[in-house]
Amino acid sequence: MSGLIGVFAELDSTVNAIGELRRSRFNEITVYSPTPRHELEHAIEAPPSRVRVFTLIGGVCGATFGYWIAIWSSRYWPIVVGGKAIATWVPYTIFGFEVMVLVGSLSTVFALFALSRVPRLTMTVGYDERFSQGHFGIFVATAPDRAKEAAELLKKHGAVEVRHEA
Amino acid sequence: MATAAPPMEQRPNIPSATVRLPAVKDYEQVDREIMGTLKPTLGWFAALATAILCLLIGVSAWFYQVYAGMGVAGYNPPVMWGVYIISFVFWVGIGHAGTLISAILYLFRAGFRTSIYRCAEAMTVFAVMTAGLFPILHLGRPWKFFWLIPYPNWRLLWPQFKSPLVWDVFAILTYLTVSSTFLYIGLIPDIATLRDKETNPVRKAIYAAMSLGWRNSDREWRHFTRAYLFLAAFSTPLVLSVHSVVSFDFAMALTPGWHATIFPPYFVAGAIFSGLGMVFTIIIPIRKFFKLQHYVTLNDLDAAAKMCLFTSLVVGLAYLTEFQIAWMSGNKYEQDYFWNRVFGQWAWAAWIMLICNMVLPLSLFSQKLRRNPSWLFILSLFINLGMWFERFVIVVPALSHEFEPWQWGTYAPTWVDYAILLGSFGWFFMWFLLFIKQLPVIAITEMKEIVPPKLRKVGGGGH
Repeated sequence: MSGLIGVFAELDSTVNAIGELRRSRFNEITVYSPTPRHELEHAIEAPPSRVRVFTLIGGVCGATFGYWIAIWSSRYWPIVVGGKAIATWVPYTIFGFEVMVLVGSLSTVFALFALSRVPRLTMTVGYDERFSQGHFGIFVATAPDRAKEAAELLKKHGAVEVRHEA
Repeated sequence: MATAAPPMEQRPNIPSATVRLPAVKDYEQVDREIMGTLKPTLGWFAALATAILCLLIGVSAWFYQVYAGMGVAGYNPPVMWGVYIISFVFWVGIGHAGTLISAILYLFRAGFRTSIYRCAEAMTVFAVMTAGLFPILHLGRPWKFFWLIPYPNWRLLWPQFKSPLVWDVFAILTYLTVSSTFLYIGLIPDIATLRDKETNPVRKAIYAAMSLGWRNSDREWRHFTRAYLFLAAFSTPLVLSVHSVVSFDFAMALTPGWHATIFPPYFVAGAIFSGLGMVFTIIIPIRKFFKLQHYVTLNDLDAAAKMCLFTSLVVGLAYLTEFQIAWMSGNKYEQDYFWNRVFGQWAWAAWIMLICNMVLPLSLFSQKLRRNPSWLFILSLFINLGMWFERFVIVVPALSHEFEPWQWGTYAPTWVDYAILLGSFGWFFMWFLLFIKQLPVIAITEMKEIVPPKLRKVGGGGH
């Protein structure tokens, strides 16, 4: 996707530029910042992350597996220990809990990677090394006929550099 | 001229909840000073060489033990658990403060964690890696350790899921996996910063691979903050469960001094206390040698010292409660055991424990001492010593003084025990020293959340 990238030194300029870009119906915007900022999050108005769904599914699957492996193997090779039942839920809760945490956490990490689309082998278009340091950035994916309008808007809000990316 | 940013909704911003860093002006300064710690120095090489030497001494002793048998490690009936189990519990405990600082304090919005959590998290991972070695060292046939893991096999054998040893395997492996994941996920944005600043092509390529192509985009941050929160939420009960499970290794037995319901909270409090001691042991020299006093401020040390004092009081209460339970139980064996522990055969060890863990930390009621890094460092060494002896006092006196006089005996560690204990410190510090010169010892990204961003219009946004 081709578009324009604007590099900003200030946070409030970036927030204002995002607001005006959205009002001007430039909807395909990617914002870069050295650190997560609530101001940018509000300006973008992105939907809530779906990481939670993966976490829930992973946690439930993990707890189920943890109980299942302990109960199944106990019944498969039954040995009475301490006069207790073959499958005892109290100690097996340890396995249910630990495997819930393990699989739930790994599912969360998987969700982070899948939803953020990492690992990424190349930087693709629309990235500048300054974005991990002190600068903020806005990449506007736009058709060539609206590129000039977007560039003017970025400059108006104080972009220190605006360049085309393809 | 741009218009001013609209008023922003005030939501809790975790790292900046209570912390201000007046000596840190902007993001560039954060990058420059924290990345400045990555340059190797002569002192660092000397410390690494010492750690590796200690490790080699431990490895040599272990080879000798494998060759000669477990008898060289000072095990004689009735005391068949010694330095290895003591050190296992000690190192697992060290790890707990890391998770407390990185996960639990994150959920509680405690801002002072920001400057110390990376160190503490790395300490957790390396401490659990160290702890995990000891049950294997303790096995007569260490090469069979994988029998504890449930895996399909042609003999159709499965581990005994009612055994605390198998509970340990699940708890420790989960803890190691989740702590390593938590550390790595938090490091990804910082590694991306290193990648973008790096000029050496080889190092840049390595950082690029490790950062997974992270770009700091809004999409990445949105999922990152949510995932980090969930990992913290998972880690919080996990850390409580792990040392509870470790305490079950003892509490499930009928041995006097072990068979107590107080053990899980007692162990968790002790673990956090010992871990905080190790955090001070590590962070105070780092703060001094890397000249990071304006990041790890006296306010941060003061807040951590208050936590240390609190956990010391909890641990002290647990000690006294044990005595009270023995006294009020009317159980002759329990009473005899505790008398022997405090005034008999093991009095020297018990008093080292009580003085280091209960008495000396009371000094932290003084704000002046809480804000004195030299005192905190000295105290932390006593806490490390005291907490190792706490585990000694739990393990050895109980086994050496069971129900009947014919079961009574004694225990003395041998040079093999001491060499392997030294090797464990070498192993731990080797990894830690390698870590601090390859990756940022303070979280760059979270530090930037504390530092006010540049604004075009003064007061035009940011919180």
